[in-house]
Formats: sequence, C-alpha cells, structure tokens
Amino acid sequence: MDAAIHTEGLTKRFGTRTAVDRLDLDVRPGCVFGFLGPNGAGKTTTIGMLLALITPTAGRAVVLGHDIARAPEQALAAVGAMIEAPAFYPYLSGRDNLRLLALAAGVSPARAEAALDVVELADRAGDKFRVYSQGMRQRLGIAAALLHEPQLIILDEPTNGLDPAGQLEIRELIRTLARAGRTIFVSSHLLHEVEQMCDEVAILKDGRVVIGGTVAELLRRGRGLLVRVAGDPATPAASSGDDAAHGISADVLAQAAALLRGAAWVAGVEQRGDALLVDAPAERAAEITMLLAAHAISVAEIRPVERRLEDFFLEVTRP
Amino acid sequence: MLNLIRAEWFKLTRRPLAWVLLAVFLTLLVLLLATEFLLVGLHDGLFSGGARLALLREEQVAQFRLHLGFPGIFGAVLMHVDGVGGMCAIALAAGALGSEYSWGTLRTQLARQPNRGRYLIAKIAGLLLVLLAGILLALLLGALLALLFSALVSSTSGAAASSLALPLGVLRSLYVLLPYLLVTVASCILGRSVIAGAVGGFLFLVIDGGLGALSFLSSLGGLVRVLLNLIVQPNINTLIVLNSRSFGLEPAVLTRTMDLSTLPSPLQATLVIGAWSALFFAYAYRSLLRRDIGGAA
Repeated sequence: MDAAIHTEGLTKRFGTRTAVDRLDLDVRPGCVFGFLGPNGAGKTTTIGMLLALITPTAGRAVVLGHDIARAPEQALAAVGAMIEAPAFYPYLSGRDNLRLLALAAGVSPARAEAALDVVELADRAGDKFRVYSQGMRQRLGIAAALLHEPQLIILDEPTNGLDPAGQLEIRELIRTLARAGRTIFVSSHLLHEVEQMCDEVAILKDGRVVIGGTVAELLRRGRGLLVRVAGDPATPAASSGDDAAHGISADVLAQAAALLRGAAWVAGVEQRGDALLVDAPAERAAEITMLLAAHAISVAEIRPVERRLEDFFLEVTRP
Repeated sequence: MLNLIRAEWFKLTRRPLAWVLLAVFLTLLVLLLATEFLLVGLHDGLFSGGARLALLREEQVAQFRLHLGFPGIFGAVLMHVDGVGGMCAIALAAGALGSEYSWGTLRTQLARQPNRGRYLIAKIAGLLLVLLAGILLALLLGALLALLFSALVSSTSGAAASSLALPLGVLRSLYVLLPYLLVTVASCILGRSVIAGAVGGFLFLVIDGGLGALSFLSSLGGLVRVLLNLIVQPNINTLIVLNSRSFGLEPAVLTRTMDLSTLPSPLQATLVIGAWSALFFAYAYRSLLRRDIGGAA
C-alpha cells in the first residue's frame, strides 16, 4: 500500500538558512506518526510543505498518492490539518467558524455539529472565538481538521494549552481516529504523550531526521543492564571528571567494556558516565558479574534499565 | 467556486467592520442630501416664513432640486458612491484580506482549499458583492429620502431616464471602485497585513487624486493630455459624468473646476480603468501564488 505521506529529499531554504534538509519520510497508512524535534528544527516548515503552503526549494512530497506540487487539490482533498495555533475569525462563533469552513469545502453544515460533539465543544459553540480559552481553541482546531472526515489528519501540537484531562481526551480521540483507519501525523513536544499515542516517530534536528522508527523498536533498543563497577581506593584515578570523582579508573571502565563486548550474548556496550549500559537480557546479570570478577573487576551495582523516548530525544537533539 | 464566494459573503456580512463602513457611508449620504435639502429650503424660504436666502446660484439650486427628486436622486447617490465609496472599498478590502494574514486564517483556508487563484477570485467577487449590496442599500435609502424631501420642497423631476440607466449606473459605479479595491488587495498580499493594504490603497487614492488635480494641464493638449488621461482619475470622472447625465444631472454646474471637454472618451475610460485593474489583479495573483503562506502575525 502507498505511504500516506512520502517525501524524497524535501528541502526548504530561506536565504542562506536551511530549514528542512533533504528530508525522507514515509508514513504508512493507518498509523499514528509522531514528528518530534526542538524549536526551529523544521517541523512546521515541513508541515507547511505537506499542505502546499510553503514551496519546497528541492525534493518532493507525495500526500495520499498525489504529488503536492503538481496536484495539491487532489492531495489535500482528504487531509484535515491544524497548524501551530488554531487560526479562526475572532468575530464569529466557534460554530459559525466551522460552518464557514464547511461552506467553503462544500461539506454539509451538519458536519460542523458532529465535529463539535466529537471534541466536546457543542455547549460553547455559540460563543465568539475571541473569548475562547487556549484549550477551547485547540479543540475547535481539531474539530475543523475532522470536518470533512479526512483520511489523513495532520496536527501540530494538538494538546497545547489543554489541561491533563483534556490532553488525555485528545490522546484517546487520536487513538480512536487511528483505529477507524485514519492516518495521524502529529507533531508534539510532549514526549511522554507521543510515546503513549504514536506507533512510529521521527526526530528532527536542524531540518534532518536524526532518528526514526517504531516507538516499540526505539524503546527496545534502549533497554539493557546498567553496570557500575566498584572503584579501587588504592588505585589513583587516571581520568578526570565523574569517573575520577568516584575513584574509578577510565582504564577499568574500558577494560570492563571490552570484556563485555566479547561476550556472545551482549549486543552492545556504551559508557554512561561512570557506568556501562549493556545491551543484554536481564537474566544475564549474574554472568556479567562473574565475567568481570574473573578479571578482578568488582561490580558495585547492576540493574535493568529502560530508556524513554525522552532519553533518545535529548540524546540526539542536544547540541 | 460558488462555495468559496458564498463563504466570502458569509464572512463579510457577519463582520462588524462591514456594518460600520456601511453605517458611515449611509450617514454621509443622509448628511449630503440633508444639506442639499437645507440649501434648497433656505433658497425657497421654507424655514423663514417665505424669506429667501440665496446662498447659491440658481443653476446650482436647480441641480440640487434634481438631486432631491426622481430620477436625479439615483445620479446623486451614485456620485456619492464614486466619491466616498473608494475609501470604503479600500477600508473593506484591507480589513477583509489583511486580517486573513494577521489572524492566520489564510493558512487555515488554503490548507483546505489550496487553489490560490480561485481563493483570490472568490475574495474579490465577495468584496464586489458586498459593495454592490451597499450601493443598492444606498439607492434605496436615497429613494426614501427623495420621497420625503420632495414632499417638503419643490423638487424637480428631471427627464425620464432609460430603463437601463440604473443598472448601467450601478455597474459603472462598481467599476469605478474596482482599481481601488484591487490595489488594496495587491498591497495586502505584498505587505501581508491590514496596514499594508490600507496604506497601499489610500496612497494610490491620494497620488492618483493629486495627479488628477493636474487635469487643468490637459488643456495644453497633445502628449500632456494623453499622459494625464492615462491615470485613473480623469477616466473615473468620465464615468461619473456619464452616470450623472444619464439621470438628467450636469455635474459641471457643481464642480466648475472640472473641464469636461478634456476628459477621455467613455471607451478610453473603460479601457484605462480596466487596464489598471488588470495590472493590480495580475500582481496580486502572481504574488499570492508564489509566496509562502505563514501563520498569524
């Protein structure tokens, strides 16, 4: 099946600044795709290009099987979107704003009422948009995105300004929409939220995807055993920093890492401060202890750890 | 396309700015006609037990009498449209398109309906429809005032106008507003704001009006007249005169500075106003198609 969103070398430059740099994305139909990145990473510019609001400098984007540059109307016919802060006419009520969009799109005005019900805004739909709270504006933005029952929904920070209960409702709504076969492309800063509701993610930094994949795969990659070796007070520390502060020689850590890498059941070892993160099943903890002890390295602590999406995010987006 | 035009009508007719502009426009019309009524009344001694106060020449009073009767009232209303309507059109267009940029609603609209050319045409069509509705309301109000005033003073019924005079007059007035509307639309797109639209529109109004004031140089003839008649103002004047005369009025009586003999022909007026309008539309269209659409200002 064709990807709901497919980009090839998608690039946008503003003068000398490259906002999006050769972006390759594939969002499969029916999935909830999290699009993450720090401020200025190029998320909104990418969304702008997917919605034909911003012209790419190079590359192409295909949305629901249609090239966005060549056939934007066909591409966006079944796309509902909310970009950044929801923008509506302040002098119109929430209901009239939706009716207006329905009128322009040739959709029955009755859809406006249905969309208001979905986001639980029906009782305040008669109020002017200008008096709406941020949370109500977000809900109206989502209602507008749902107005013509789109196959693909693009939401930029959908839970921005919502209280925890509201965030939960929107997460559930997104899940419900996905279960109904819709594809959701959601950009968010709330990593915990993305972890809970997304099937796949891409993390953007300086306009490029630095890591991507299914959430399950990323979290599995982050699991392992944290091994802290004991320092030897008799041995002067050979390195500076945290390791030295704990009296652990960098040589000892390096030796331990090398020993563990040599074990067939260890998929990988990386240093984390004064400890080692060992990609190995938790039941191998005793063997790790014995292996290191056999080489006169004492284990001070060994425990299973899980990496959250937030860890990946911070790791790949830190300057 | 029809859906988009209906959506523009929906937006504009619910917008307080449109109603405020209509109220200002109609109030000025009432004041204008009331002043003319007052001047005719003073001339006839209506307010002073028969003592006549002649502030104007007889032929000027005669023109006002025509304004207060039928069909002259229609000519008077359309002159008011061509005079004040340009400013109202600029304010309306700047508010309607400029705020789409400042509120970020342009992005909301175009993310759903990405055909920017159709969006622009629908926007202009919506604005023209609202202006047309304003003109028709002004004609209705003028007719009611004419009924009232003609019952109080001895107004004069002019020569019967042709049955096409009114629809043609309305279309001419709308056509006169078109370049102001389009220069404002183009300025809004250039500056992506209400302010840019208003500044562009009013600047054009002032510069074109200022150059129009040099029309006395047209009497020099030759290239000077050709060049001066290529600006919008003299061509608009031609259509205003045409409109007035079709309702039995003679604007030269009230505006003695205007030399009607140097004005362009109606055909040239139509073509020049059309050419300026096409130029502004082409710029607006090209800019809207080529520029990226951002969020709220």
